[in-house]
Amino acid sequence: MISLFIDTADKTITVGILKDLNLICYDTMENKNNLSENILNIIKNLFDESNLNINCVEKIFVVNGPGSFTGIRIGVTVAKVIAWSLKKPIILISKLETLASSNTKKKYIVPLIDARRGYIFTGLYNNKLCSIIEDEYVLYDDFMLNLNENYDLDDIEFVSDYDFLNIIKPNIDIPKIVKKHFNDKGVNPHQANPNYLKKTEAEENLIKND
Amino acid sequence: MKDIYILAIETSCDETSCSIIRNGCDELSTIVLSQIDIHSLYGGVVPEIASRNHIENITIVIEETLNKIGLKMEQIDAIAVTYGPGLIGSLMIGVQAAKTLSYIYNKPLIPVHHIAGHIYANNLVKPLNFPLIALVVSGGHTDLIYMKEDYSFEYIGGTLDDAVGEAYDKVARVIGLKYPGGPLVDELAHIGEDTYNLPIPLDDDSYNFSFSGIKSAVINLVHNEAQKNRKIVPENLACSFQNRVVEILTKKTMNALKKYNVQNLILAGGVSANKGLREKFKNLCYKENINLTIPKLKYCTDNAAMIGAAGYYAYKLGKRADLSLNAKASDKLY
Repeated sequence: MISLFIDTADKTITVGILKDLNLICYDTMENKNNLSENILNIIKNLFDESNLNINCVEKIFVVNGPGSFTGIRIGVTVAKVIAWSLKKPIILISKLETLASSNTKKKYIVPLIDARRGYIFTGLYNNKLCSIIEDEYVLYDDFMLNLNENYDLDDIEFVSDYDFLNIIKPNIDIPKIVKKHFNDKGVNPHQANPNYLKKTEAEENLIKND
Repeated sequence: MKDIYILAIETSCDETSCSIIRNGCDELSTIVLSQIDIHSLYGGVVPEIASRNHIENITIVIEETLNKIGLKMEQIDAIAVTYGPGLIGSLMIGVQAAKTLSYIYNKPLIPVHHIAGHIYANNLVKPLNFPLIALVVSGGHTDLIYMKEDYSFEYIGGTLDDAVGEAYDKVARVIGLKYPGGPLVDELAHIGEDTYNLPIPLDDDSYNFSFSGIKSAVINLVHNEAQKNRKIVPENLACSFQNRVVEILTKKTMNALKKYNVQNLILAGGVSANKGLREKFKNLCYKENINLTIPKLKYCTDNAAMIGAAGYYAYKLGKRADLSLNAKASDKLY
């Protein structure tokens, strides 16, 4: 069974093709604001390279956030249209979970994405990719305080593409993520949408002014 | 000759739309999902909210467009998409969707300029006759275009500052109308009288327009009256404003027709839905024996049918994009 994995949600883009649980080829690169131009060619090149036709894809795994709003939408739009065209289910993956798949010997992983103005997107995962503190949009200081009170920080690996203190750079493990979600039913492509974890500023202001 | 079916996608602002057009003139199926009610809460289009809505709707809109006439993607000859100008985040959704369809179904991808689309909305009324002059009037454009033949666009004049639609929306705001105010100004103008002394904007021999002056004149007038504790009469102000705007748009357009010795005029863009403008042009063109075409009201605002009509002529001319097509917030057609 051929699966396609797409992650364009943040600074590092990863696209991979899997046969069952084995990664047969993948491409990963820094997102340099040319994602919109490149994404289809990245996907096409991988299929050409592996001598496969995109029509043989049975499952589509797509990272739907949190992260860069534009980045998320590019990946999710492409994934939605592929899934709709091929009439296959689409399985939504958290960006924070992909970061948490990075190799570590520690008990817990905290993935961090800078959400600006002191805020972060984060959560707490164990090394089996189970979510322990649900993904959230939170003040960095508040989150760290809470973590400090309830966990031994030595048990935690902090993973981020951003320059936070004491982090390791992510090294995402696509087969590990796909394995965990392989039997997920997935959703209809029409319902496969981004998970921004944050309202737009206009919506926030509207609520504030009400 | 074999019929050509174009599937077109348009997401440049706050309408998610898909359409299937046969041979550039027969509209077979169109879906337009407007977000106007959502954005009216904010007094204008919020780009991030527009993008969020496009992505939720895009596959639904494509599917419904095909289902309406029982067509399959395999039966489509080419995919046309608005690549710009417009809101970058909104355009992006349509462009990625079109590229993905083009890749999976191995169909040619046709990049269409949004304004070419508005012009070709007229082709859905009757085939364009050339040479023609197009008056493009919208929230972003006020341009006079000379077209010698299909898909050839020569700029002969345009606004030096605000677009006419922008001026309408601003005037709507100062007289207290809700977003989107342009059409409401038009309605008010029809029940009001021309009592306010407003200048005719840029009344010269050029083919250029300027609407920032009359916009400021309206704002100043409203402020001055407020300071004197006098109430403005909104319908009369709307009528006075609309009369000046329509007068200068029609005057310069009719002059251009004479100078270029052209018998065909088309209107295009959102403001071509303006009743005052349509009526005045109909009268003048009847008198001057000019062949006037105006888009159907439903194709004046953004829609994919017009993109499919323009896309057909671009397709015939061999215009193609590859998978690296990108959305462009601004791009010149002429």
